[in-house]
Parts: sequence; C-alpha cells; structure tokens
Amino acid sequence: MRPLPLPDPGTPDLRGPARFLLWIARRQWTVLAAAVLLGLANFACQALQPYMLGRALDEGLSAGFGPDLFRWAGLLLALGLGVVVTGVVGHRFDVANWLRSALTTSQLVGDVTARSGDAITEELPTGEVVSTVASDAMRVGQLFSMLGQFLGALGAYVVVAVVMLSTSPQLGLVVVLGLPAVAAVLALLVKPLQQRQAAQREAQGRLTTLGADTVSGLRVLRGIGGERVFVGRYARQSQSVREAGVKVAHTQATLDALQVLLPGLLVVLVVYLGATAALRGDITPGQLVAFYGYAAFLGWPLQVATQMLNIATRAHVAARKIVRVLAVVPAAGAAPATAPMPPEGSPLVDETSGLVLEPGRVVALVCADPDASAAVATRLGRFDDAAEAATPVRLGGTLLAELDKLALRHRVVVAEATPQLFSGRLRDELDPRGRADEGRLLAAITTADAHDILDSVPDGLDGELPRRGARCPAASASASRSPGRCSPTPRSSCSSSRPAPWTRTPRRGSRPGSRKPGAGARPSW
Amino acid sequence: MRLPVADGPAVRAAAARLFSRHRRTLWAVAVLHTLAAVAGLVGPWLLGRLVDAVTAGTTSAYVTTVVAVGAVAVLAQAVLRRYAQRISMVFGETVFADLREELVDTVTSLPLSTVERAGTGDLVARTTNDVDRIQHAVRFGVPQLLVAVVTLALTVVASLVVAPLVALALFVGVPLLVVVARWYLRRASAGYQREAAAYATLNGSITENVEGARTVDALSLAQHRQDRVRADLSEAFAAERYTLGLRTVLFPGIDLAIAIAPVAALVWGAWLLTQGQTTLGAVATVTTYAFQLAGPVWNLIFWLDEIQVAAASYARIVGVSLVPTDRTATDDEPADDRVVARDVEYAYRAGHPVLHGVSLDLAPGERLAVVGPSGAGKSTLGRMLAGIHPPTAGTVRVGGVRLVDLPLTELRRQVALVTQEHHVFVGTVAENLRLADVGASDERLRAALGAVDALGWAQALPDGLETVVGSGGHALTPAQAQQVALARLVLLDPHTLVLDEATSLLDPRARGTSSGRSTGCSRAGRSWPSRTACTPRTTRTAWPWSTAGGSARSVRTTSSSPPAATTRACGTPGSRSSAGRDHPSGQGGTSPRRRRGGQAGDPVVVAAPAPRPPATSSRTSRSHSRTANPPNTHHCSA
Repeated sequence: MRPLPLPDPGTPDLRGPARFLLWIARRQWTVLAAAVLLGLANFACQALQPYMLGRALDEGLSAGFGPDLFRWAGLLLALGLGVVVTGVVGHRFDVANWLRSALTTSQLVGDVTARSGDAITEELPTGEVVSTVASDAMRVGQLFSMLGQFLGALGAYVVVAVVMLSTSPQLGLVVVLGLPAVAAVLALLVKPLQQRQAAQREAQGRLTTLGADTVSGLRVLRGIGGERVFVGRYARQSQSVREAGVKVAHTQATLDALQVLLPGLLVVLVVYLGATAALRGDITPGQLVAFYGYAAFLGWPLQVATQMLNIATRAHVAARKIVRVLAVVPAAGAAPATAPMPPEGSPLVDETSGLVLEPGRVVALVCADPDASAAVATRLGRFDDAAEAATPVRLGGTLLAELDKLALRHRVVVAEATPQLFSGRLRDELDPRGRADEGRLLAAITTADAHDILDSVPDGLDGELPRRGARCPAASASASRSPGRCSPTPRSSCSSSRPAPWTRTPRRGSRPGSRKPGAGARPSW
Repeated sequence: MRLPVADGPAVRAAAARLFSRHRRTLWAVAVLHTLAAVAGLVGPWLLGRLVDAVTAGTTSAYVTTVVAVGAVAVLAQAVLRRYAQRISMVFGETVFADLREELVDTVTSLPLSTVERAGTGDLVARTTNDVDRIQHAVRFGVPQLLVAVVTLALTVVASLVVAPLVALALFVGVPLLVVVARWYLRRASAGYQREAAAYATLNGSITENVEGARTVDALSLAQHRQDRVRADLSEAFAAERYTLGLRTVLFPGIDLAIAIAPVAALVWGAWLLTQGQTTLGAVATVTTYAFQLAGPVWNLIFWLDEIQVAAASYARIVGVSLVPTDRTATDDEPADDRVVARDVEYAYRAGHPVLHGVSLDLAPGERLAVVGPSGAGKSTLGRMLAGIHPPTAGTVRVGGVRLVDLPLTELRRQVALVTQEHHVFVGTVAENLRLADVGASDERLRAALGAVDALGWAQALPDGLETVVGSGGHALTPAQAQQVALARLVLLDPHTLVLDEATSLLDPRARGTSSGRSTGCSRAGRSWPSRTACTPRTTRTAWPWSTAGGSARSVRTTSSSPPAATTRACGTPGSRSSAGRDHPSGQGGTSPRRRRGGQAGDPVVVAAPAPRPPATSSRTSRSHSRTANPPNTHHCSA
C-alpha cells in the first residue's frame, strides 16, 4: 500500500461536492479499479455457491458416496476458497481506498487551515472545520471503500440473473424483476430516513460545537463558576439530539422491517412457484434449493445497494462541507505578488493614520482608543487584503498587498496581543524551521523573558509543551529576526515590571535596520 | 501528560453499571430479537420439508399450506424486527445522552491543572469522537450482536433437531474460528486505541490551526503547521496499517471456517445417506443452514470488532472520571468574608516550587495589588486565592473555610477570578453573561454591561444582547470580550475579585474615569465601585475595581533571586518570596453594602498582574541580570 500522506495531495476540484468526489476517484482510480474487480470476483464466487450446491445435491448426492460427489464438493470448496482470497485482498484494497481518500482530504483541510489566516475563522466556526477532519473525511472514505463491494454486488446480481433465467425463465423473471421492485420500495423510505438523519446530524453538530466550546473555555468557566450553566446548556442540546435520534430510530426500524419483509415474501413466492414446478417435474429438488439460495443470497447485494445509497448521500453532504472549508481563500497573499520587494531600509507607511516607520527607530503608537492602535498594527501586518483595501499601507512606496507575503513576513512581523502557543516540542515550536542553534534559542527565550516556560517543561528545550500560553510566540517572533517588529500591546501578557529586555535586546540581536513600532493604548515604555 | 485511560476492569465495571441501570429494556430487546431470529429460521426448515415432500411426491395443497406458514413466519419476523430495532435504537439514544451528559459534567469539574497539561484536543476528542463511536456501537452493535448470537445458537440447535448426525459437520470450522478470533481480539483493542489516539491528535492539530490562525499567519508558521498535520496523518496511517494487518489474518480465517462447513455437511451427509441414516431433505436443510451461518458469524466478528473499538473509546471516556479530584466539598460555611492565606506554596513540578510560604490577609474593602517580575508566581498566587487549585502546601481560607472545601457554586459567590483570556462562548451575548447568574433579568444584564462601559456597543450589535457571538458568530474584539468577562463579574457579585491582567485590553481612559457608572450599578442593587480611587500608575492590571473609599496595598511575589533593580525598588532584598503590606495607604473606611446578610464591606480587589506561572531557577535570574534591567520603581506604589 502506498504510504500516506502523499507528498503532494494535489489541487482539488472545488466546483461542487460531486466534482470533488470525482476528483478523488480519478486520483486513485487504479486502487478503485482493483477493489471493484476483487469485489466482483468475491460476489461472483458467493453467487455461484447456491448453484454449485444445487448441482451437488442433485448429481453428487444421488450418485451416492463417490467420485461425482467429491467433484462437486471439491468445486464447492474451490468457490469457498475463492471467497476467502478475494475477500481478504479486496478488503485491503477497500481500506487503501478509504485511507487514500480520507487522509488526503484531511491533509487538504490541514493545508488550508495552516494557510488561511483569519479567513477560516471568519467564514466557519471552529467545530465545523474540525468536524470535516473528524467525520466528513471519514464519510468520504467510506464511500470509496464501499465502491468495490457495491459494484461487486451489482455484478453478482447479473451473474445470478443469467444463471436463473437459463434454468427456469419463469422463476428467473420473478427474482430478477422482483428484487429491483423491492429495492425501489425500500428506496422510497430512504428519503425520509435521510431527512431525519440530517436533522440529527445538525443537532449533533451543534452539540459538538457546544462540547468543544465548553472544553476550550474551561479556564474562563472555572474562574467565574459558570460550569453548571454550561452543563445545563449541553444537556438540553444533548436531549434534542436524543429526540432527533428517536425519530430516526422509528423510520430506521420500519426500513429494517421492510428489508426483512419484502425480500422474505419474494423468497416465499419463489419457493411456492419452485415447489409447484418441481411437483410438475419442471425442475429438480436440487434446483429448488438453488433458487431458494439465489433469492436468499440476493438479499445481500440488495442490502449493499441500499447501504451504498445511504453512504453516497452522506458522503455527498460531507463533500459539500469539505469543499466549503477547502474553498476558503487566505485572507492575505492569496494572489501572487505583483511587485518586487522594496530595498531593505524602506519606510513603512500607514496612509490612513499617516504613521511613518523609519528604520532603526522604536516607535510607540498611542491612541485614545486601543482598538484604533491595534487596527493600525493589524494593517501593518497585512492580515486581510480585501478588508484593508481601503486603508493602504506601503513599504517603500509599494502597497503591501502587492508584495510576496512570505517575503514581507521576513521584514514585518506583528506580534499579536494574544498569540497562540502551539502544543509540541518546545524547540520545534520556538524555531519551526530548525534554523537556530541552542544558543540562539536560549537567547530568544531570554529576550522574551520566557525562562519560566523553559523551566516549566520537564525536558527543557526538548520537552513537550501542553496547550496554551502567551509568551513563547513572543520569543518565536524574536527568534524570527525580522527587521520590523510590530506589537499591538504585545506585552500585555508579560510582566509590566520588565519592559526592558523586550524592547532593547532585539536591537542588539538583529540587523541595524530594525524598527519596532509598538502600538498600544498606553505609553508602555 | 495525557488524560488517563481506564483499564479493563474499570471499563467492565462502568459498562455493567450502565447496563444494569437499563436491565429491563435490554431484556425486552433480547427477547424480541430472539423471537425474530426464530421466525427467520422457519424458512430453511420449511424448505427442507418441501424438498422431502416433493421428492416423495405430494399434493399442491400441502405445498400451499407449507408456503402459507412460511409467509406468516416472514411477516412475524418483520414485525418483531421492527419493534426490536426501534426499542434498541431508542435505548441507544437514551444511554448515550446520559453518557455524554455525564462526561461533560465530569469534564467541567476536572482539576484545571490536569486540563491544562493534557491539552484541549484530547478532551475535545473524548467529548465528541469517542462519544460518537460508542453511540454507533450501542445503537446498532448491541442489537446486531444479540441477533447474531441468537441466530447462531438457534441455527445450530435447529440443525441438531432436524438431523443431529448431519449437523455435526457444522462444527468442523469451529476450532479455526476460535483460534483466529482469539488471536485477533487479543490484539485488536490496543490497535484501535492507537488509531483513536492518532485521530485525536490530528483533530487537536486542526483545532490549533484554526484557533491560532492569526498567529500562524503572523509568524509564517504555515509550513510548520502543515508538517505537523502530515506527521499526525503518518501516525494515523501507521495505526491503520497495523489493524489492517490484523484483519488480514482474521478475514481469511473466518471465511475459510465458513466455507468448509457446507462442504463438510455435504460429504458427511452423503455418507450418512448411503448408510440410510438420514434423508436428502435433511442434508439439504443442514447444508443451507451451513451457508446461513456466514451472515451471523460475520456479524458477530464485525460487531465484536466494533465493540472493541467502542470499548477503546469507552475506556477513554471512563478515564476522564478517573482523574483524581483536587477538592471535596464539605458542609462548612464561611463565617465571614475574610480571605486569609497561610504559608501558601505551590509547585507545578514536584521540587520546583513557585510560591514559597506566602501569607496574607485580605480585609473587606481592601485592594491588593500583587506585583513582581515575570514568572514570580503572581498568577499562581491569584489562582490559589481564587480557589482554582489547592496550594501544594499551606491553606487559603475564606471565613475560616478552605476555598477548596467549598462547593464550586458557593466558592464563586465568595471569590471570582478573571484573567486576560477572553474566550467568548458560542451563544448570545445574554447567554454569555448569564453564565455568571442564570436568572439575571435583561435589566440586570444591561446594568452589568453599563457598569463596564460596554452597553453602548452591546446594544449596537445586530440583534443587541441576543446577537450570537463566539466561534462562528459575530466576532467580538478582544477588548469587548474582556468587557463581557468583567460584566459577568458584576453579575456574579462575589465579595472578593481576583483580576489577573483582566483589563489589559481595555481603553485606559475607560478604566480610570467613569465614576458615574456606579450609579447605573447601584440600581441593580449593588454599590459597584467608583473607579477613581487610586490607580497604581504602574501595575496596569490593578484596574480600580476599587471600592469607594477602600484601601489599597500591594503584595509582591518575586522569583528566587530577583534582579537587583526589582529588589531595590521594593525593598525586600534577598527574600525568597514576599507578600506583605508595602504601602498600606488608602482612605480607609468602608461603604455599606448589602449582601446575603453578610457584613458590610466592599470588594477586596486582588490584582495579580501577568500570567505565566512557573519558574524559579538560577537561569531565570541570570538572564534577568544580563538583560540589565534598569531600576524601575514601578511596583510598590499604590
């Protein structure tokens, strides 16, 4: 099996859920084709078993305990072995299909969430994005893992139909036409079932969001004692999920019962017709058993088909959600750069406020309204091209939006007021590109005054960081060595008693052209 | 550190409790499914009778009768199946509503230190994915398993009844089946747990990507985050491949065991026929039964597998309840509103204490600013004072009762903590506020918002206080989020507040001026502080949630060898840690307040600036001195 994740997941077709699914299918068509062939072989082996049994009963048993019996028994066993082999190999291909499609989808979502910037949270709630990986990708995987079985089932149906029609046209026709009729009736019930399932999923989605929200806000809840209220809210939503589930249960139970009833009645009809035909001498007792076997067996492909209908619909819904996430355009830098980077040392100008940042200077920006100064800092950082179109910022005369974002990030870094510290090995989280040596990392930690973090992790730089924290990104920003660093009250989470290391050391550490605007409501230094 | 996962006995005990609570429903489900399975077996049996009758020559009347019986059996099976499925699915929904609600109940009372160390991703996965997986297993799995077992047993019994000698052939595959299934089931659980853990990590990484989207963008971490997700996917793939390997043994084993049964029945039946021991019809029936065994055997193994997956999830859910609690509520009631800390120590890691023997008394009407360099343990002290953690040594009491001995609801009526963390919960603004006081009227909500200068923007929101905010809703600015947090505090109305950088994002003018606001609050039955009294110039956190006419003082915590400048400024040279009255200035006197029949007195404000708890090491202090911090005289004035 090809190791996953793939080095290049490719560029998905996002014009619609069906197109997205087709795109996946095209990318793994060889694996899909193998799974389908094996599915066909597997079902064919199973479908031929009743035929073989009928012949064995008629020709083997009646001939007594001898070579004829052994031949038929041997053929029956060979078919069984065929089921064994095609079954296990087919399963491996089914799983390969599952993993290829599901993990690639997750990978694509991971890439988008890593590159989208603010756009992702503006367009979708966190819970919904996470659920594309947690459940929607799985539903897509399920679709592709079922494809082999589904087409195999269809093929088996055809094989059995041919065998039956050639044995007894009358009985054959009853089965061949009866089963699709049964399937059609069942399909009618699938629709209301799906509606109710969709309602339940929606309620479940809200519940998941509430659950994730509770856990994420646990620290806040703990401080003010809102736990009870939250548990109550969760319980109410949980009950509406349950009620939606009960509605699903009623429809599902009816569908299950019909899945027993309709094929069952068809089998009874076949047995009745077969028995009378056998009485007349038109067919042998062995053929009667075989027909019973066919009719009973074909209940299975039928089940696979209804299941497939279900899975395909769910996969379609899931694909729609996935496409919505994948279609998120990064808030900044989505389009390629149209202008070259201006030379180093160019001034950074916010035209709206008139702020001019010259190299080599530390500037404190103080506004009466802290949101106003924070907005300037956000503009300087170029986080959202569309939103900042009316408030242009220029570096050396060039609009930020026209520059290459990554190159710009090497010149201008905005350290947020509340940056996120990611879980993982401290060393990797401080220096994601692995460029800094031990000494520089420790220097950055010193600069950010974050030795307490280092000490809190059992294995020092190699220790695993738990989630959340504030100062490490400051060290991270410090380690990133951008000449222009901009902090909308970056130290609000740092001790007010220690402004100095933060503001002063970077100048020593970095190139002479450093500029450091600090936008804040209060004159911090 | 990961959250605990329950071991086998604990999982079984929990499952047994769960099932015994619903014993009657389970019995009903079992009986209905059994009856349905019995009805399902009538078909092949009738077929055998027909084959024999046809071979021997019979009338069409007999055939019609037999077929009519068959039709009735099918009808009965369908009806029984319907009720069995319905009851068992409704049962599944009920059980799992209980389960997830209990889980969230447990999660919200987990010790905060555990939550912080385990990471949110794991906990989110347990409250969502794991619950889902179990739900699936019980909704469909338990009934299917019942059906499979009952069908298997009845099929074997029916074969034995029809033709005991021929039926012996059915057991030919059993040894293989048992060996392979045991081999597999012994390994499967660990394999699927690894899968679940891998997917939980993946979900956590995606959550971090989304929640930290701005940071990822600002620091150009995209490649790093992509690599992280890829690493998670590699682990998921490796885990999947392992379980696939297990199934690669299991599947052919089962298929083979199933495939040889009918062949054996045929050959063995043929030999018995030549001995005159049985009939052709009996052999036909048993051979047909042998084929029919495939369905239930597969169902059995499949659901055993699924139930193992669910058991792995269940072990993770039960595991959450195994986190030792850090508090047990007693019935003690605080005698008064005095908060007293004695010899408080705290260590995040054993042997690395952050606080060393801090003692302090908070008098009603007093404001206390806690200042100190980064990592000195100010936030930690604040959390002790708010009863978030119990101290490692020493005590924090209110009215003589240890804070951690109070039930959480009672605790929050005494002391509340607001940090600079501004999580906005999914829901309306009003719901966000009512977390602090469920029954608060809209009038009170508005008053609370007014008290923190937030009424203006709150009413200007698209739907006013009913605007949905939080993840996916209307985005509040960090400053607005902080105001919401403070408004909650107004509603909560505890006698002691701990503000840990809680106002760091607010407009400084708003923090210092609006004395007029207090009138708005007193209408809500509360004399909320005018904020003009003494703002420490320095600790920006000590936002004057002061009392009209209360006193203020500051307490310092320091790291083990504080930088010279700091020490000089505060005049506590060489102290390992100190907490004391530096400048007990203030106007003195308290204004009357009305509260639960308690004493008059205004809120004590404990302001603990700057979070970032742990640390006291020589490295820290070296770095402080190296960075040559100039003497600053910030700390102590109040």
